Amino acid sequence: MITPHPDDLTLNDYAEGALPKHRLAEVDSHLRMCSDCRAVVDSLRLVRSSAGRLPPLAPPREAWARIERTLRANAAPRRSARWQWLAVAAALVMAVLGGMKLSEWRHQPSSTANVPDGDLAAQSAAELLLAEQHYQKAIAGLERIANDEKGSLDPQVASTLEKNLAVVDQAISESRAALRSQPASEPAQSSLLESFKAKVALLQDTVALINEMRKGPAARDAGAVVGLKRKGS
Amino acid sequence: MHRTDSGDAASPDLVARCQAGDVDAFAELYLRHSARIYSLAVRMSGSPQTGEDLLQEIFLQAYRKIAGFKGDAAVGTWLYRLALNHCLDFVRSRQARMDKSTDALEPESHRTAPAASRQSPVERIDLERAMQQLPPGCREVFVLHDVEGYEHKEIAAMLGIAEGTSKSQVFKARMKLRALLT
Repeated sequence: MITPHPDDLTLNDYAEGALPKHRLAEVDSHLRMCSDCRAVVDSLRLVRSSAGRLPPLAPPREAWARIERTLRANAAPRRSARWQWLAVAAALVMAVLGGMKLSEWRHQPSSTANVPDGDLAAQSAAELLLAEQHYQKAIAGLERIANDEKGSLDPQVASTLEKNLAVVDQAISESRAALRSQPASEPAQSSLLESFKAKVALLQDTVALINEMRKGPAARDAGAVVGLKRKGS
Repeated sequence: MHRTDSGDAASPDLVARCQAGDVDAFAELYLRHSARIYSLAVRMSGSPQTGEDLLQEIFLQAYRKIAGFKGDAAVGTWLYRLALNHCLDFVRSRQARMDKSTDALEPESHRTAPAASRQSPVERIDLERAMQQLPPGCREVFVLHDVEGYEHKEIAAMLGIAEGTSKSQVFKARMKLRALLT
């Protein structure tokens, strides 16, 4: 006597070999008698085995071209920014060397012992001009990056940076004014160089902050902003 | 064994070059693994066009993330997992959008189904086309189980469904495919 048809999931489990042992005999017995259920099990197995043997599909040829275009388009600005950084780094090295040279020259008593006052003043002015040029070059490079990417910054942070830069620029103007009236004044020269150094440091922090902001919200570091405020105060 | 486990032998040098942002090295990685990932994307989405879009998104994501690849597994396995997760995200978001139950898919009674062609081989192209006609929900489970080789309990965990639902969807898919292929 034929037993009732097993339900669909039972046949499915049977086809997958996942039916519990205690039910196997019952289903086997039914399948021997029922060609419809045998056909179902055969179909389930056939579809399963055919699907399991499907070979990989080849992606369209233009698929990589689209990906590559996007990758290279995104990589290009990064490369450009890297080159900008290298240029700025080189300018910074030159600026620091220029500043060091002036400072060393000042602190070598023997180098000034036999130099007439007029020559000393001229030499000092020339060295100062050279150091200033180096700093200005570094500042120009950093300002270019900072201005290009200023949009990445939070408006409040950008405003704080602007205020701090204005303070440093004011110090530079005052040092220059002092030097115009007393070109040989060593405190005025030192003040000008210190102001340039402060501006370079502030711009370096600005660019570093821009880079952090571009990395994403998680990278926003309040400490950097605090540091910038401290420098400007 | 599911297809994730198929070995790949990308050299550490190739991975290192990819991690350094070398697009040419990444092209080589694409060449080695794109077919497997494209297949998964097309079959899971049910559309060659969507599959190509997913392929692009997956490789762009891989390019961004490969710097964090630690080498705990083969790079192909890492890439496959990334692809699978991306496809699952796609499936989940589509299901959320459609909120469409596959219960409407009622396979015709197997008692009356034609049995004449049950032993004939299934043409690969026909099967690919038929799979595209499976309803969303049913198709993804079928692909994960019968094509990719995952167990029902793994699929249940991946898709947040009951194991019994996974079995039921696979059965429906097989019956629907049988009907489409005869």
